[in-house]
Amino acid sequence: MFREFTKLLCGAAVATVIVAGAALAEPTRGGSIVWPVASAPRHFNSAVQSGIATAMPAAQIFASPLRFDADWKPQPYLAEKWEMAPDGLSVTLTLVDGAKFHDGKPVTSEDVAFSVMAVKENHPFKSMLEPVTGVDTPDPRTAIVRLAHPHPAILLAMSPALMPILPKHVYGDGQDLKSHPANLKPVGSGPFKFEEYREGEYITLVRNDDFFIKDRPYLDRIVMRIIPDGPNRTIAMERHEGHVMPFEERIRDINRMKRQDGLVVTDQGYAGIGPINWLAFNLERPPFDNKKVRQAIGYAIDKEFVTKALMEGVGVRALGPIAPGSPFSPKDVEPYKLDLDKANRLLDEAGFPRKADGTRFTMNVDYIPGFALLKTMAEYMKPQLAKVGIKAEPRPSPDFPTWASRVSNHDFDATMDVVFNWGDPVIGVHRTYLSSNIRKGVIWSNTQSYSNPRVDELLAAAGKEQDEAKRKALYDEFQKIVVDDAPILFIAVSPYHTVFDKRLANLPTTIWGTASPLDETYWAQKP
Amino acid sequence: MSAVPQRTPAAAGVYGAPPAARSPMGEAWRMFLRNRAAVAGLVLMVGIVLMTLVGPLLYPVDPFGMVWAPFTPPLETEYVLGTDYLGRDVLAGIVHGGTATLAVGASAAVISIVLGVLIGAFAGYYGGWVDATLMRVTEFFQVLPPLLLAMVLITLFQPTLTTIAATIGLASWTGVARLARAEFMRLNQQEFVRAARALSASNARIMLRVILPNALPPLIVMAAMNTGVAILFEAGLSFLGLGDPTTMSWGFMIGASREYILDAWWPVTLPGIAIFLTVLAVSLIGDGLNDAFNPKLRER
Amino acid sequence: MTSIARAVLYRTAHVLGLLLAVLVFNFLLIHLAPGDPAQVIAGDMGGATPEVLAEIRTRFGLDLPLHEQLLAYLGRVLTGDLGYSFYFDRPVTALIGQRILPTLILVLSALVLAVVVGTVLGVISARWPRSWFSHALTVLSLAGYSAPVFWTGILLLILFASVWPLFPVTGMYSGIGDRTGISYLIDVAHHLVLPAFTLAIVYIAQYSRLSRAAMLDVLGSDYIRTARAKGLGEGKVIFKHALRNAILPVITMAGLQFSNLFAGAVLVETVFGWPGMGRLAFESILRRDAPTILGILFFSALVVIVANQLTDLFYRLADPRIAGKGSR
Repeated sequence: MFREFTKLLCGAAVATVIVAGAALAEPTRGGSIVWPVASAPRHFNSAVQSGIATAMPAAQIFASPLRFDADWKPQPYLAEKWEMAPDGLSVTLTLVDGAKFHDGKPVTSEDVAFSVMAVKENHPFKSMLEPVTGVDTPDPRTAIVRLAHPHPAILLAMSPALMPILPKHVYGDGQDLKSHPANLKPVGSGPFKFEEYREGEYITLVRNDDFFIKDRPYLDRIVMRIIPDGPNRTIAMERHEGHVMPFEERIRDINRMKRQDGLVVTDQGYAGIGPINWLAFNLERPPFDNKKVRQAIGYAIDKEFVTKALMEGVGVRALGPIAPGSPFSPKDVEPYKLDLDKANRLLDEAGFPRKADGTRFTMNVDYIPGFALLKTMAEYMKPQLAKVGIKAEPRPSPDFPTWASRVSNHDFDATMDVVFNWGDPVIGVHRTYLSSNIRKGVIWSNTQSYSNPRVDELLAAAGKEQDEAKRKALYDEFQKIVVDDAPILFIAVSPYHTVFDKRLANLPTTIWGTASPLDETYWAQKP
Repeated sequence: MSAVPQRTPAAAGVYGAPPAARSPMGEAWRMFLRNRAAVAGLVLMVGIVLMTLVGPLLYPVDPFGMVWAPFTPPLETEYVLGTDYLGRDVLAGIVHGGTATLAVGASAAVISIVLGVLIGAFAGYYGGWVDATLMRVTEFFQVLPPLLLAMVLITLFQPTLTTIAATIGLASWTGVARLARAEFMRLNQQEFVRAARALSASNARIMLRVILPNALPPLIVMAAMNTGVAILFEAGLSFLGLGDPTTMSWGFMIGASREYILDAWWPVTLPGIAIFLTVLAVSLIGDGLNDAFNPKLRER
Repeated sequence: MTSIARAVLYRTAHVLGLLLAVLVFNFLLIHLAPGDPAQVIAGDMGGATPEVLAEIRTRFGLDLPLHEQLLAYLGRVLTGDLGYSFYFDRPVTALIGQRILPTLILVLSALVLAVVVGTVLGVISARWPRSWFSHALTVLSLAGYSAPVFWTGILLLILFASVWPLFPVTGMYSGIGDRTGISYLIDVAHHLVLPAFTLAIVYIAQYSRLSRAAMLDVLGSDYIRTARAKGLGEGKVIFKHALRNAILPVITMAGLQFSNLFAGAVLVETVFGWPGMGRLAFESILRRDAPTILGILFFSALVVIVANQLTDLFYRLADPRIAGKGSR
């Protein structure tokens, strides 16, 4: 993957229109779309909050230096030119002329410098900008990002979902960025302006008439309706009360919508995401501090049943921290083959014999609300782990923020989670395992409190290794250790699909899908 | 106190007969048996109770266990009512889930009756400040939305079957208390009570042995109605996921499978029918009792 | 003092007393619950660091004697401070304020629907007590009474939003279009139909039985016989003389059941994604956000008390005979 980027490092790229499968006719302006989402975001500042609930609206509100097409190629966005220094120790960005924030103030290199450092300091993906030492701003349109060592993932890290350019004059007032009031009243320079957020109801975004790309966006308004119940979202789409529904993983409803004339269902737009469903343990809490207990649970879960029966046969097993599809993903060898005897034995050895009632201990299994598969898997643990004497109770959360607060504050036993690779392991994988990234209060950091010095070393080395074969060897060793230590039991790749109204054209089906701006989307046929 | 007169399930004022005479209970029972709807309700209820008591022994499938492929429709395999999204047997859920629902429903009704009769009896019998105080308490509980109160109490005190039953009882005794108070007040003025008092019977004896038996008919009707309400309550709480997580219940089944209703109707519809039939049986019995105790109303 | 003034004064004192009782009850609940009250107040938000807990302790004076805490709590409520949701980092009143209107819209529409439809059905069936309609109504009302409201809601939703898509599926607005003017009101009304009807079913069933029984009572009375004997038309007899008597028990019952209706809204709002207080209550319960839940409990009690008083007033207006009996 690294080589793919290096080829593109020099010179400016020509803007290519990203085509979504539908009509190529002259785009027409006007109209609104309703975008059903399962859970509410905590807030809209993607510089300090990861996850799609924030990324989807944030990518509309904030512009980023670069965007990516469906072939992983960087495209100009706020930066019309970018240049990697030959020694790999700096990237020079040239900003487009005339870009303005929603409050009318110009976007300058000062804002870029502020934002890059804000992401570095606050984003849960700590390794993403780890090597960045500073940003120079020789003039208002030039920003030079300085690196301590070559960083294979730096351009990918400049994507809309990962590097929102925040106005310094709003967010730079010295308040803590994680709880900044403007996180709920965001000001960006993206194609859509934030209008209103009604907790539990909807988020409305309106067209930014001053957007720096001429004549765009085509849509006047985006309404993200929060509809927690899956069937209600499906019905909304079927009735054309909803027009774009990404990140859908409820296979039966997806198959149902595929049969509908007015809807298009695609699995494109998730290449960069690399989503893995997994069961993560809280290693601070006994008995999950015991490796044997974690491994026993690994042997007790029937992965075959999960991918075949629970996921209706479309499930793809995830064998390690790096998702299938990546050149670094692990070899196809099942590390935890279903073995209840072994699980029982390990639990006995760990010092948790069955009590008189046949149970060993009780645990809660959390899950992100709004993800039907995660809930199903959490509930699956109850009868399945009962077979080895563990009483596993699913613990529901009413919405995403509740779950996030519990898990990020290490107030959980184990949780079903879906975590993304975000293109390059340095961005989406390292964060979960680095002991330096155990940060209370930050969701999708190392919330397991997993710490292994060898893993830290391997990841540090892999992060700056420019030779792909060597890099792969480092990641192989890393994955072997993590799978064996089992702070996380990897289960399956999320079968994400996007459903959209057939009359819409130019939906983003790039590597970031709907976590990138919808400035090119338009109604080919008026609804 | 509000000026609104209390309507009771049996429009008050018809049970005036002194205790001696022919057994009014026996008479009512004969009346009840002549009411076809009521007997149907009784038969249905006996069937449901038998199912929940004996069913788990005859059909010992674990309601939480995954027995077959998920989403198996009814009548296709040995699991005749099909399976849910985890491959759990719907029939096992219905058979085993009834136990919790009925146990909670019945004990909650008993709690509400005992609490209501106690408070209503003292208020109605003693009158004066006792009445005023107790009626304030009743009124207080009446303004708290019962389901909300139950939700709050369950949150603060962990959802186990016992706390759920106690909570539902606590949230639904006020109607009983008002009814009991009205009956005790009315009967207290009757000749036979004065006679008992003249014979210097103790207050406790008068309340328990003289008035209570005569106040029973409307209270029995109310008990039946309250059982139905309590069952609906329990179902609602477990639908919301606030039931006892270690026991299967009908409401829980509906709440859990709701997500898949577009493709699989059976895990939602069938437990709903079970609740419906149970409450229907209780309502039919309650109606029948009401009619039986109030021959005057029957002609309608 | 006139008797009216005295009645008003008495009533006000009475209402305030009830509210005070609800507050004391709320206060005691937090302290009776097992565990550290600071923890209970903080809720299951996960972020209850020692600093937050310490802040809660000082803020609520949890180290003071119980009666002093109670007085301080009542004082805060007097100034309009119902508590602070640490989970949302917002005052409870602000949270509830956003949700109260949708719930009132839902509950009041269901109530009006139930009273009107219930009474009409009951009156028709009492007029022809041996007709098939009357029998069908008896059966239907039993059925309507026995079905769990969340279950009927789910079935109606599938039926009328998916299989036969007449009504929108969820929420209170379609999201597109203005949020003012007539079209907005129509939009909200369109969204309101299914949840309001679902909530009303149980009460339609009850009220139709109630008004039928009351109507039969009245139709058999001397008073109506006299009216008929005077040669008044049947329509006139029913609507002028009997209806008033049939609707009174319904109104009484509706007033008494207002709190039940409010509780039913929790389930209906959850099924239909209605953005009201009931759903907030449900969500807060899952979060164990005690200040919000207790705030909702207090607020709903307040609404129920007001509703009861209004029923009473209505009752007096509808039936002047009662007015003379004083406030007991």
